[in-house]
Amino acid sequence: MINRIFALLIRYQNIALGSMPRLISIFYWPTVQILFWGFFTNYFYQINEFNIWSSLNVILSAVVLWDVLFRSQLGLSMSFFEELWSRNLPNLFITPIKDHEIIIGLLMISFLRTILGLTPAIFFANYFFNFHLFELGLYLIFFFFNLTLIGWSIGLLVSSLVLRYGQSFEELAWAIIFIVLPFSCVYYPLSSLPEAMQTFSGMFPTTLIFEEMRSLIFNSHMNLINLIKIFFINIFLLLMSSLFFLFILRVVRKKGIMINQGE
Amino acid sequence: MKTSIKIKNLSKSFNGKKILKEINLELPKDGIFGILGKNGAGKTTLLATLMGLITPTSGEIKIFNKCLKKNKFDILNQINFQSPYIELPKKMSVYQNLIFYARLYNVKDRGKIIKNLCSELLVSDLLHLNYGKLSSGQKTRVNLCKALLNRPKLLLLDEPTASLDIQTSDFIRKYLVKFQKNYKSAILITSHNLEEIKYMCDYLIILEDGKVKDFDTITNLLKKGKKSKIEELLLND
Repeated sequence: MINRIFALLIRYQNIALGSMPRLISIFYWPTVQILFWGFFTNYFYQINEFNIWSSLNVILSAVVLWDVLFRSQLGLSMSFFEELWSRNLPNLFITPIKDHEIIIGLLMISFLRTILGLTPAIFFANYFFNFHLFELGLYLIFFFFNLTLIGWSIGLLVSSLVLRYGQSFEELAWAIIFIVLPFSCVYYPLSSLPEAMQTFSGMFPTTLIFEEMRSLIFNSHMNLINLIKIFFINIFLLLMSSLFFLFILRVVRKKGIMINQGE
Repeated sequence: MKTSIKIKNLSKSFNGKKILKEINLELPKDGIFGILGKNGAGKTTLLATLMGLITPTSGEIKIFNKCLKKNKFDILNQINFQSPYIELPKKMSVYQNLIFYARLYNVKDRGKIIKNLCSELLVSDLLHLNYGKLSSGQKTRVNLCKALLNRPKLLLLDEPTASLDIQTSDFIRKYLVKFQKNYKSAILITSHNLEEIKYMCDYLIILEDGKVKDFDTITNLLKKGKKSKIEELLLND
């Protein structure tokens, strides 16, 4: 009996420690949880009675907008993974479909899945909590569009890595958003982070978006320069991730990975 | 001579190991061509390279007298592929899968073509079922439907009857022979089933260690090698 249990232990240890993404997930999550709730608590200490309702509104807006990013990324990655899981990729790539047409198809399905997934959530938030996301006005379209761009960029990056390095990277599709969450200042302002981390977090386009969202809700004002910066950074990210996806397709054809996925 | 496939000095290496070595081959415009070789001889790599799934290390491939590298999408419109190791999305119904591929190949009159093919391959009753729920034999027949949707001028088959029962295998072989005769297409088939090769193929390509050892009609190959059975061609002297 001990031998058999020991064999299982060795096997699970090999599975867990044998791949970098799995290894990272073991060590990363407890730290992420501590950091995230720590920063969040810091922020709540700073809130006074006067703006508590605005803060709750900010948090609900952040929840919905963060989900835009999450759904966009997951909608793209999962649609692509369906082809991998069903061992259908060679069938797809021997049709006259072009590589960039696959990217466009993935972006479009991700958009549809995001809209479909979020509509009931926004409806319930409106009905039960008297929370009006649409009060963000036209800026809501700007936030939605830019978070979608980031979601697509991350989705293309994850899909490329899974295509190139295999299923052990699939975990990344679920985890990557939460890896960047503590540094994206979604539920608390940049100022609630330690000073050393503020420079690092300030580089994330998600940080810029959520900082501007808070500024709009608290002060009814946004920084135009920051909005332009956000837009161009996100366009650049999408372009780079699309080029990376196309590059990985070339690598995969060179290495014969696509045909082996069916076997 | 009009050719379906013309390969010149084709080589492919993976991590420094040569899988295909300076292959030169010219196949007539139509006919059924069998590729025989031991495991690891390079059969699947050759098929995948012909479909653009693998980029060659060196050499040139021409299909219907057009360079594959330069005219890939034009050529892909005229070829198709079936393998029991490559499936269709399991959560989609047979009809949804077939209509999807018919769209990708820009097939005109899709509904009618799918209906006819399904009727010929005896899968009409399966159209509403999810692909994942089909048996191996049913999957093979549906995969074949997919492979014939664009009425390919070049059909590539990787062990098309592997792990099928005798009746289904026999049905598939007869259907493919009839398809080739009707549409004068070229069919390139890899198989370990020598009876299948003998029944279906006009020509044989013998691959050995990534090289074309021989290419001719079965009768000529047997005569040249002074052998009486195909398996003797594969066994070392």
